[in-house]
Amino acid sequence: MKKQQTNKWTRALMIIIYLTILSFFISIFLSLFIDDSFESLDGNVAVIEITGPIVAQKDSGLLFTDVTSSDEVRKLIKKADKSDKIKAIVFEINSPGGSAVASDEIAAEIKKINKTTVAWIREVGASGGYWIASSTDYIIANRMSITGSIGVIASYLGFSGFIEEHNVTYERLVSGKFKDLGIPFKDLTSEERLLFQKSLDKIHDYFIDEIAINRNLKKSDVKKIATGQFYIGAEAKDLGLIDELGSRDEVIDYVEKQIGEEANLAKYKKEKGFLAALSQTMNERFFYIGKGLGSSFFAEAESPKSISIIT
Amino acid sequence: MKNLALPKKKAFFAQASVLKRIIAFIIDILLVNLIILFPFRRLFDSIIPQTSSFSKTFEFLSENSGFSGTITIIMFAVALITILYFMTFEKKLGQSPGKMILNLYVESSKKDLKYWQLFVRSMFLIPVFPFILLWFIDPIVMFFTKENQRLSEILSSTKTVEKYKV
Repeated sequence: MKKQQTNKWTRALMIIIYLTILSFFISIFLSLFIDDSFESLDGNVAVIEITGPIVAQKDSGLLFTDVTSSDEVRKLIKKADKSDKIKAIVFEINSPGGSAVASDEIAAEIKKINKTTVAWIREVGASGGYWIASSTDYIIANRMSITGSIGVIASYLGFSGFIEEHNVTYERLVSGKFKDLGIPFKDLTSEERLLFQKSLDKIHDYFIDEIAINRNLKKSDVKKIATGQFYIGAEAKDLGLIDELGSRDEVIDYVEKQIGEEANLAKYKKEKGFLAALSQTMNERFFYIGKGLGSSFFAEAESPKSISIIT
Repeated sequence: MKNLALPKKKAFFAQASVLKRIIAFIIDILLVNLIILFPFRRLFDSIIPQTSSFSKTFEFLSENSGFSGTITIIMFAVALITILYFMTFEKKLGQSPGKMILNLYVESSKKDLKYWQLFVRSMFLIPVFPFILLWFIDPIVMFFTKENQRLSEILSSTKTVEKYKV
């Protein structure tokens, strides 16, 4: 009888161990879909992260990739700006840049804010990342942060030699002689190259204009340093590209001086609920099943999207 | 010393005391919370707002439907594990650890305990309407039935009994 009772408790212990292991795996699975949310609810300073490449929209396949989409950031900015509790907005930047359009969209949204704005550059705040930083009231970066890189790039891999070698031909069917400009299956003509360069120079000029206006610098001075070269924080301070060398403490000090009260940071992040993430993944998969892998490739090949202009 | 030819102890099952059932349930819930759901603690820490008041938390969750959705999903996972706890123990051993301590058993009015019966017994743990109503209805019904059966027990044709030895 006693043995039977002991046996029962052993079985009970085994069941508890099994259930705890199951619980462990379920919690791990769920944690994959949950972002850490916020530092404090009582925060009066919103912190918005600009991390990774800057894109206009989050594409399919980027579910687990750390990118910043201008659509999401603009929504967060609007939300923080509307909130009466929020007195200042800090942009925590760790981005090498990205789409020129997306960077400009975020920068334009920041300029509409009627509150104190600060850019806090962590490791990298270059190119489009710097464009965004420049649109805030004050920039703080570490002395070793990588910043600047004011330039535009649209380089791409050309496959014309490769397809020729494999006896594949590019049958050119266009109406409008520049319609297939930037298609990687043919070489650029000198006329096309010139046209391309003209557009890039124009965008570079917009970039320089923006930096000059945002940083209150002479356009000619910005032009001199806008070679696409990056500068470390200490150099950027001397060039007037940033205002102060420092880190989180310096950011808090500056914000407190501006708002005249103690700063409590509240992280503003895009909500990524489990169901949202799951439905997003399922939608993407169903879309591709329906579309068919072949047509998906075809669409990629025929689309002139193979070129993107990156700041 | 000679063995005395005393009559062997007889065991029989009878209606379980309500107090013992409540204590057994509390023991089970503590066990589930402290041990089985321990891995969920980190998950809750990362999503539950560190706020000074309930009203601020409520306000925040109302404004951020994504977070409340996440919490709902986690609550479902927790409920599922808790239901599995009761179902597994009652199917394999006929009693949960809380009931083991207090000598209580789950009995089916049919032959064996079936999984559907065990699920129906524990469905009050599902954190959505109308199941949450069972939190109020179950105990009330328990006091008005002859064998102190909860509504979920009546629906599942089961009852909780106590083992007595004489």
